[in-house]
Amino acid sequence: MSECILVVDDDREIVKAISILLEGEGYEVLKAYDGLQALDILASRQVRLVLIDVMMPKLDGLSALMRIREKQNIPVIVLSAKSEETDKVLGLSMGADDYVSKPYNPQELAARVKSQLRRYTCLGDVHAGSRIGEIRNGRLLYRTDEKMLYADGEPVKLTAKETGIIELLMRNPGRVFPAEEIYRRVWDEDAFASENTVMVHIRRIREKLELNPKEPEYLKVVWGIGYKMEKH
Amino acid sequence: MALSFLIFFVGVSLTLYHMSGLLRCIPDGISSWTSGKLLEDDYQQSWEFQNYMTNRLESFLSIAINGYPAGWDYYGWNETSVVSEAVAQGGSDWSFVGNPELWREYGGTVEEYEEYEEAMEELYNSGYWDEYGGWYGYNDQFQAAPREQLTEEQLAQKREKLTRMYFANIEEDKNLIYSIYYDRKLLYSNSDLLVADGSMQTSEGYNFLMYFDGEKVRISKDGKEIDIYGDGYYQNENNDWYVPGYRNFPVNDEMKKTVICMAAAKEPVLYTTGIDKSGGYQQQNNSLYWMQYNNMRDRKMLRRNFIGLVIGVALLFFSCFCRKKRREALEKIAFIQGKIWVECKGLLLFLLFLLLYAEMRKYYPYGGYGSLWWELVHGYDVSVTEVVGTYGGALLSPLWYMPLFWVESFWAVYLIVNDLKHNKKVWRQGLIAKCCDAYSARELKLPFARRMIRRNAILFTVIVVCGILMMAGTLGIVKEYRLWTYNNVWKIFVLYLFVTLCLLVAAYLTGIKNIKAARDVDALSDRIHEICNGNYSDNAGTQYTGHDLGATMTQLENIRQGMASAVDEQMRSERMKVELIANVSHDIKTPLTSIISYVQFLKEEEGLPEHVKDYVKILDEKSQRLKNMVQDVFAVSKAASGELPMNMEKLDFGKLLRQTMADMDEEIQSSRVSFRTELPEEPVMIMADGQRMYRVFQNLFQNALKYSLDGSRVYVTLKTDGKLAVASVKNTSHMELDEDKNFTERFVRGDKSRTDGGSGLGLSIAQSFTEACGGQFGLEFNADLFIVSISFEIVEDA
Repeated sequence: MSECILVVDDDREIVKAISILLEGEGYEVLKAYDGLQALDILASRQVRLVLIDVMMPKLDGLSALMRIREKQNIPVIVLSAKSEETDKVLGLSMGADDYVSKPYNPQELAARVKSQLRRYTCLGDVHAGSRIGEIRNGRLLYRTDEKMLYADGEPVKLTAKETGIIELLMRNPGRVFPAEEIYRRVWDEDAFASENTVMVHIRRIREKLELNPKEPEYLKVVWGIGYKMEKH
Repeated sequence: MALSFLIFFVGVSLTLYHMSGLLRCIPDGISSWTSGKLLEDDYQQSWEFQNYMTNRLESFLSIAINGYPAGWDYYGWNETSVVSEAVAQGGSDWSFVGNPELWREYGGTVEEYEEYEEAMEELYNSGYWDEYGGWYGYNDQFQAAPREQLTEEQLAQKREKLTRMYFANIEEDKNLIYSIYYDRKLLYSNSDLLVADGSMQTSEGYNFLMYFDGEKVRISKDGKEIDIYGDGYYQNENNDWYVPGYRNFPVNDEMKKTVICMAAAKEPVLYTTGIDKSGGYQQQNNSLYWMQYNNMRDRKMLRRNFIGLVIGVALLFFSCFCRKKRREALEKIAFIQGKIWVECKGLLLFLLFLLLYAEMRKYYPYGGYGSLWWELVHGYDVSVTEVVGTYGGALLSPLWYMPLFWVESFWAVYLIVNDLKHNKKVWRQGLIAKCCDAYSARELKLPFARRMIRRNAILFTVIVVCGILMMAGTLGIVKEYRLWTYNNVWKIFVLYLFVTLCLLVAAYLTGIKNIKAARDVDALSDRIHEICNGNYSDNAGTQYTGHDLGATMTQLENIRQGMASAVDEQMRSERMKVELIANVSHDIKTPLTSIISYVQFLKEEEGLPEHVKDYVKILDEKSQRLKNMVQDVFAVSKAASGELPMNMEKLDFGKLLRQTMADMDEEIQSSRVSFRTELPEEPVMIMADGQRMYRVFQNLFQNALKYSLDGSRVYVTLKTDGKLAVASVKNTSHMELDEDKNFTERFVRGDKSRTDGGSGLGLSIAQSFTEACGGQFGLEFNADLFIVSISFEIVEDA
């Protein structure tokens, strides 16, 4: 059974492009060109995920999002040409599950849709209590007993050092570790010119688990201080 | 330099010192008589000697005729002269009467004092003092003494005693030998060597002979006779010998019986007799010896003065040749003077004149009539008579012939003038000035109105103190002169009280006004301060009518309004600009999204011909670049308008650079340039937004990678001087740099054709982000070397 996704945007070409992209991934796509249409469709059809633009005629994306949230708890990804940090925060605080700024990267968009669907369908409520031996952080899950990292429920292949770094950071989400400390604790050696080594590993891990490695959401560099795992 | 000044100093000092030394001789008149004899070594040529000899002759005549010594001065043949002569010749002085301690202090014995007191009592009792005592100005007591009539017998006794005393004094002084004959009978003589036969022969050692034969006086000196009488009339008391024998000064019958012969020694010596019991010495009269001694001393002094003057003038002449060096020396002295407090200078000046005063006190130790102050005011001087030996008071105050006075005054004035000439505001360099400065500095911190109140308080105090002082002074005068008896004394007090009150009221009224004005000034300056701090809000509630500065306040208000509207205008236009750019970038992004999406589909399309694939590839690249540019433009405009949200935190500058380079490691490794780094091991903490600064250095490194000459090196350094941390990126450009180009301007690139794929905003973003973080962005190039330096203030590592 293919999952049904609603794409809402006043720009028909963009809606078409997204539907081509998502249909290519094997989803069923419903199209709407303003907020009211989207609400109509949501009322009549079973939709698993909504991709919605902010600036639209009749009813704008954020108002529509609020209306959706009144009834349904399905994942909503906000799609906007406003790329400011404040717009992003505003969207997420109004109930959006993710935020993608235009012009989007097709692969990233597809990955985000997939991630949201997986979390919604496979894992159920993200905020359910974690079991013993599990560290959950957003779409990431680290099982300490088997030393495995799962992103959206799928295992991520990591090398031994990478796993060491991930375990350290996952155990202390939000805490900033200087490169020297990471090196000392993972490599178990005195830190010397550790910056490059640690950075290389961090970049590799990012490529494996971040949806857009250029704009990481989990494994972040705190410039001039160190590295941290963002708490979600 | 120092030498030239020394020459000048010594020259001026010598000249002045000795000139004033010579000037001492001038006050007694540069009559031809005196000046001709100024440098005379022979004491017998002096006026003093002439005076002495004629006086002796006079006394001897009196003794021969009357039996006791009496001067034939204008007081006539009376006893007063006898007494005064006796006192004068005995070297007596009234100072010791009733004061034996002082007598002993001056080396006298008890017996001598008794003798002296007796003589003085005798003089006092002689009963003539009430008529002439005032002439000595000595004592009221003597003046008031009752006149006592003496009998003939008593008088004769006194006269005999006086004569005895007279001769006892001069007998043993063989510098003057004499023989007195009356009626061809030898009355008195102190030497056998003198023969009064009119032969004018003198014995060995005596070169001056005065012979009175009863008619005329004959004088021979060194064997030559001197013409005394000239045309026979006594005219000039400075020149002529005051002896009987002139036609207008004839001898009487008594005199005709008298023959007197006197001889003076060529080289007088000191005669002293030992005194029996006490073992002390008694000097004989020795007048001639002292005359000669003083004469020699004075000539010596004159000569010394003259030589000194010549040397001084010569030195002055020499110093004319090194005037330039002297000026340098004076400048140095002025520099030193500039360092000295003006109070010290004043004290030095005061000490200098204290010294002069002390010096003068040596000459004039007594108070009252004839004292220093008397002399200073009246200019009557005895020292001149002592030195040069004339009478006739000098009309100049003694200040004028104190050599030190001249030298000291000259140098004092010279140094003061030098100081004033070279140092500006001499009075600023002093304790009082410093106190004033400190006071006004402290005062300046107070608001203006408070300052005015303080100043008014000072004025008030001064007025009150002046009033009190005036009244107290008047009270003192009234009390001192016992003016209570005058009825209208109280009127003066009322007047003073009235004046003081008037002044106080006037000061109070103006003070009130001033304080009010000062409050207005305070309000004005507060307002200006507010506006300076960027508070443009309307202050419409305040009314400025009735203020001293109402008009100014209104004008300021106008300026404020103008500024407020200008600032508002600018803010609005800035905001509009940002909005415009945001809107434009949004409007560009929407079609761009479609472009990118469909290009992506095209890319994935299979079976396209090769050349179409190329086209798609170009489309992909350009659309990506357009996307970057839109984002950059947006970022730059936001940063420039100050609306970029900043997340400032303390971070390690060195680590930031290392992280950025590690982050870009792949690009760096794959490029054809290599990086050389020089970063300190220890943390260099700064306050900045890490994300933004990462962007800055990312841009800089990308630029360096993109525009560096192949195979060249990029130098990344971080240096600190304790306060400032400066990171710099240096690279060698692969093409010529245009000196006139401003690289940080938006869309400016080294390459005019703009085909290399950059947005042209890299440096612009770097600059605006750095400045938004509070850092300094510097750019310079030297030939092909391109240097960007970014500096931040170091924060304490706490």
